[in-house]
Amino acid sequence: MAELGRAALLLTLGLSAYALVAGAAAARLGRRRLAYSARNALVAAFGSTLVASFVLLAALLRNDFSFTYVARTTSEALPTRYTISAFWGGQEGSLLLWLLVLTGFGAAAVLLNRRWTRDLIVWVVPVFAAVATFFSFLLVAVASPFATQAAPADGAGMTPSLQNPYMLAHPPLLYLGYVGLTVPFAFAIGALLSGRTDERWLVATRRFTLFAWAALGIGQLLGAHWAYVEVGWGGYYAWDPVENAALMPWLAATAFLHSVMIQEKRGMLRVWNVLLVILAFSLSLFGTFLTRSGVVNSIHSFTQSSIGPWFLAFIAVVVAVSLGLLLWRLPQLRSPTRLESPISREAAFLYNNLLLLALCLTILWGVVYPLLSEAVRGEAVVLGREYYDFFLRAFGLPLLLLMGIGPLIAWRRASLKSLLTTFRWPTAVALATGVVLLVLGAGSSVPGLVAYTFSAFVAATIVLEFVRGTQARKALGAASWPGAFSSLIARNRRRYGGYVVHAAIVLLAVGIAGSSAFDTVAEARLERGDSMRIADYTLTYRSLDERQAANATEIRATLEVRRGGRDLGTLEAGKNAYTIEEQVSNEVGIRSDRVTGEDLFVIAEQIDADGTVYFRVFVKPLVNLIWIAGAVFLLGSLIALWPDAREQRRLVERARQAAVPVES
Amino acid sequence: MARKASPARLVIALLVAGALAVFLLYTSIAGGGNPSIQPSELAGRTGTVQLAGAVVGPVTGDAHAGGLRFRMRDVGGTARTTTAVPVTYTGSVPDLFKVGRHIVVDGELRSGTFVAEPGSMITKCPSKYVAKANDESP
Repeated sequence: MAELGRAALLLTLGLSAYALVAGAAAARLGRRRLAYSARNALVAAFGSTLVASFVLLAALLRNDFSFTYVARTTSEALPTRYTISAFWGGQEGSLLLWLLVLTGFGAAAVLLNRRWTRDLIVWVVPVFAAVATFFSFLLVAVASPFATQAAPADGAGMTPSLQNPYMLAHPPLLYLGYVGLTVPFAFAIGALLSGRTDERWLVATRRFTLFAWAALGIGQLLGAHWAYVEVGWGGYYAWDPVENAALMPWLAATAFLHSVMIQEKRGMLRVWNVLLVILAFSLSLFGTFLTRSGVVNSIHSFTQSSIGPWFLAFIAVVVAVSLGLLLWRLPQLRSPTRLESPISREAAFLYNNLLLLALCLTILWGVVYPLLSEAVRGEAVVLGREYYDFFLRAFGLPLLLLMGIGPLIAWRRASLKSLLTTFRWPTAVALATGVVLLVLGAGSSVPGLVAYTFSAFVAATIVLEFVRGTQARKALGAASWPGAFSSLIARNRRRYGGYVVHAAIVLLAVGIAGSSAFDTVAEARLERGDSMRIADYTLTYRSLDERQAANATEIRATLEVRRGGRDLGTLEAGKNAYTIEEQVSNEVGIRSDRVTGEDLFVIAEQIDADGTVYFRVFVKPLVNLIWIAGAVFLLGSLIALWPDAREQRRLVERARQAAVPVES
Repeated sequence: MARKASPARLVIALLVAGALAVFLLYTSIAGGGNPSIQPSELAGRTGTVQLAGAVVGPVTGDAHAGGLRFRMRDVGGTARTTTAVPVTYTGSVPDLFKVGRHIVVDGELRSGTFVAEPGSMITKCPSKYVAKANDESP
């Protein structure tokens, strides 16, 4: 079996290398048949990677411990679903998953766009093949998932914190996101190589980029939720380098998704878009490098290994070659139109891009700062939470405000007078919200209050847009209000899907502001029968129980919760002691209020032999909006992603026309 | 529409990026950030540092009453090659804290003992598969 896996990977390497060499030659020399054969080799590489993946999956499911990988990542007792998740639990498996997704995306993107972007595709194939060659080389020569050994009696098992349903979805979603960003990268580089630098590469990759971006976003939120309910320190994001590694490409991709619209509509920002795509792809490679190389101190420390230098070298090559190509094609990338006014939709999008990029680069700076300071000063200096929090406010809050302004401001040139009319109602709503919140005591945190006010502003603009659009459709003859509403969305999915995503970001901003700027914390050592107070809650520690589960001893403290004299039932918090793994994990108690979105979050930090427990309790207002934001984000992304044949035809037609130089 | 090159935007973008870089440089020099060092480098240090190392037993005391006491030594070091620094710590103790585990704490050296800032401890997730081979538990 292992031989089959190894052979399949070797075949993938051969096919990718062929697609790279033959594809490049075919594109250079204009050989159509050779180009087809290169394209087919790329598609076949997906097939052979799929075979290799099945071999690994089968070995995992059969607990075949003669595979070193299987023995290291699983055990007999591990439930089947976690045996499956062990596929991406270790380094070699995750590289294989990376290659599988990469070749899958490559085959799909190339086949779906083969007809109308033929002269572009011939150059896209070798770019994809180059990336696939790198990954298959790593899997064949450096980190093979098919190394074998004399089978031990049982495997080493999986860390308890990873034996968790979130680990079934969180890593693969991040991979879909990371790897999905290869698609716009390959098309952008293909466009540069072929000299077809019109808007076609954008139209061809729009859905792939959106999909990758949505997967990366949802993947991160799942990770945050996992950290919140399972890791149990009371937060959901710690600015850890590995968390940042996923956030940075997401921010770059967010900037790209916005600036793309400016290029599609006005032909501007062509160089900028290519730069953003190169940045997003390089950051996703850099993220993998960070997680795998162990160069920075992180809470997540994966198996440190020899692939770090390979990745660094690959990133250097990618950046150097891409920027070289960009410089070479710079004359062709001049945009036919220019920015007309600093108060226009184009300008608002440009500001949004600069802020997103600034935030992204600030985070990058924070991540690499320990390495840089070590190189310069000989001593690694770590930037703390304050650094990231400061810049999140400095760049994030204006970004939030722009999210309300951008979609409503006029193209080309907006007058101040028209701005006053457009934003009359949203501004009034925002000011009213600010005043009400100030009266209610939200002035305790200025950034929090600003975030709330800006969120109200954006929410008002979104509601306004939906109301106006629906009214217009009703006036155009829609039978009913619901009918007008649904036809509004159906007719312009990108726009209204975008608004729904914006609404999700508003929820996210409110949730983050509420739970971080207005939270309360209390600690106390309680004996049975003792009570503690936090905000308007009273908690009484009633009993301590010990239960024996399949693989752990569960100790739970039961607390009675009351708020303002009302009995809210009980809450359990405690610890699990995993016998085989010799590890203890906090099991927090969370009571979510369905009406206010507030959480009461109880950690039993220390349980003493005499039954006294040291509790740490948080009250986190509005924190549940963050998770609701995830669902809304998914909905908005789906609306924007949903295939729309008419829209696609229109874009294709426009890109075709743009491809032919016409008199303007 | 004029079709001539418009370097203006590129220049603006570069200016913004440059200004930002300077700003960042400034804040990161002025705005703190702690040196990250190993226990063997601690001798004679003043000021707050981030100490990264492996936990050496015995672990005594109470993190919520009087402080948890243990020692830390360089990751990869042994009793023969490096000395272990005594540490006192109060506040939340992460789940994964135990002898042999790699941890990071902020704090400063006070008369031979590293006094950690309350609640600053983070443990590194054990490397899932190499944990047994790498465990330096004495």
